[in-house]
Amino acid sequence: MISRKTSFISLFFMFPLLLAGCAGESTETGTTETENGSEDQTQISFIHWRGEDKEVFNDIIAQFEDEFPEISVEMNIYPSEQYQATGQRMLTDGSTGDVFTSFPGAQFEAIANAGFFEDLSGEDFVDNFDESLITVGEKDGQQLALPYQLVFNMPVYNKGMFDELGLEVPKSWTEFQEMADTLLENDITPIAFPGADIGPNQFMNSMMMNNAPDEDIFEKLQNGEESLTNEWWVKTLEDFQLLEQNGYIQPDALGTSQDSAMAMVANEEAAMLATGSYHMASLLDLNPDLELDLMAPITVEESEAQYEGINTATFMLAVNSKSEKKEEAKEFIRFLSKPEIASQYANETGQHLTVNGVEYESEVLQNTAYWIDERKTRFQPRFLITNAQIEAAVLSSIENVLGGAEPMEAAEEAQQIVDENRE
Amino acid sequence: MKISKTIYLFFIPGLFLYSIFFLYPTVSALFYSFTDWDGLSDTFQFIGTQNYERALTGDSVFRKTVGNNMKFMLTVVIFQTLAALAFALIVLKNTKANLFLRALYFFPTILSSVSVAFIWSFIYDPSLGILNQILELLRLDFLQQNWLGNSDIAIYSLAITQVWFHAGQMLIIFVAGLQAIPEDLYEVAKIEGASKWQTFSKVTWPLLAPSATIVIAYTTIQSFKAFDLVFAMTGGGPNNSTEIIATYIFDVAFRSYNFGYASSISVLFMIIIATITFLQFKALRSDRISY
Repeated sequence: MISRKTSFISLFFMFPLLLAGCAGESTETGTTETENGSEDQTQISFIHWRGEDKEVFNDIIAQFEDEFPEISVEMNIYPSEQYQATGQRMLTDGSTGDVFTSFPGAQFEAIANAGFFEDLSGEDFVDNFDESLITVGEKDGQQLALPYQLVFNMPVYNKGMFDELGLEVPKSWTEFQEMADTLLENDITPIAFPGADIGPNQFMNSMMMNNAPDEDIFEKLQNGEESLTNEWWVKTLEDFQLLEQNGYIQPDALGTSQDSAMAMVANEEAAMLATGSYHMASLLDLNPDLELDLMAPITVEESEAQYEGINTATFMLAVNSKSEKKEEAKEFIRFLSKPEIASQYANETGQHLTVNGVEYESEVLQNTAYWIDERKTRFQPRFLITNAQIEAAVLSSIENVLGGAEPMEAAEEAQQIVDENRE
Repeated sequence: MKISKTIYLFFIPGLFLYSIFFLYPTVSALFYSFTDWDGLSDTFQFIGTQNYERALTGDSVFRKTVGNNMKFMLTVVIFQTLAALAFALIVLKNTKANLFLRALYFFPTILSSVSVAFIWSFIYDPSLGILNQILELLRLDFLQQNWLGNSDIAIYSLAITQVWFHAGQMLIIFVAGLQAIPEDLYEVAKIEGASKWQTFSKVTWPLLAPSATIVIAYTTIQSFKAFDLVFAMTGGGPNNSTEIIATYIFDVAFRSYNFGYASSISVLFMIIIATITFLQFKALRSDRISY
């Protein structure tokens, strides 16, 4: 007979195992779409991290191969964390990643410094892109990469809920707090903040955009001209503290995952999701009745506000300088930058693009397209931190404040790490 | 007896594999630890002991990771060893029920780290997580925590997951060790009127020392190298409170592209593990007796 003690211990082991039975695959494994071409065919390798775009890329690649039967494309997709870690290593001998993608910021800098980017300046297809949105792929006057996607890294909000409660989009920090108080009075959490994963690195951008309007602020931080203990960052941390102390973000925010935060917004328990435009399609999948738009907190008075939001031109297409198939690789990028192909990609993935002449068909993309031309947004400040250890220190200071530390104390601790890692 | 020289040929395959997969990476790490190699470029410079100086005197995050690792390691070693020993004593006899329970306890070990991380992240979730919900049902609301989001307790939450993940593996070692103890000794102890505690402390534990040495040493090494679980559950956060040496090496090498510095931390990491394991072996060896 099994004793009570044994039963209890068994329960300790069994319960998570039962959950294991219910658990799905948590990471997207790399997948390959390969066609063994004939001897006359040149096969190029295309590597990226967008597992969710596999289907649409398969379709686009099939169209490309129809148009260019002499070229076949082998696509390999890696989870973004793995891609950041191993992507650039794969480029070293030129056999993989004839066409590859890069994140802006630290990864772009590292790959550029290692010389793996083929200079695309002067290629005719560069003109297919919006000139103002591809500057992030430039270095030393050369167009090294072409950002394909345009995302807005600022909170998504429930516009329908705002209309119902008679709320307007706040234009100042005072108005933002009034809006948040009204939501609280209606038992709605103003901001769902996924602090356990991407929350700090996404929300920091809009929280600091007007506290530090100088776009060179992080460059200055990295070269020692600026400090996190100065007003621009301490004020940003104080604003985070205010959000936490006033209950404008949910309790235990640092333990909340992205999925939980999304569920809060989809269930209309929270009004805003502190991530970005790339989550709008997923939110609508969870609750098709939602009416969504974008809104960044203005943390200064209306007259001082210089920016209304954050943009990031990312998923930067590039050709491997070590590749022996550069012309075929460029042909593929040329194909991707055709307006009709880019439109297909945009509409099937729910992303805005940097390509000119894209026609957005989905309601969400149409409703938010005004952010591209009509609103004053700035490039995501986080990606202007080119030293990953310094970036981690900046983000840690936010987590430190949300964990209960005083803003100045958190800023000093982070600044020490910045000083240790300055090159 | 004269040993034929051909016997040495049998060393070659093993030595070859060992050289490729262990010796070469270790020597490479040592080599690169004296360079400023970024992991991508074809060129690098020798910078002497600068990386080591930086790790030992100028890197507060590295110091924090060592502290976190010690907390994690001590929690895991203590709880995993005690849990494995307690469970082993409970399921020692080869009854059908015990054979089933041993298999059940061992089962978490065969799961992938990512699955375990997924399951336990769900359990620990502060709003949707089953742990806080159970505590609420049991009217133990005061024990509810932000298990992975509170920087004071997150490392211990991870340690509990690690214990759940690997205790079954250690249980098997303890069961084997316990079953190897001659039954006669227990009979003698019984005749002599020894209490249960006396039997355990004078017979079982001393004769179990070789197994305990293996369990403790292996658990220590395992907890130092618990990269995947930590990476998947917290990524080192919040505020570096769960950053351990292994995850920090990854960050420095693959996010900051500083392979030279990451190599120097790896070498220091190796020295720390070797020292602790050596001390453990020495301490536990002195407890060994034979009857």
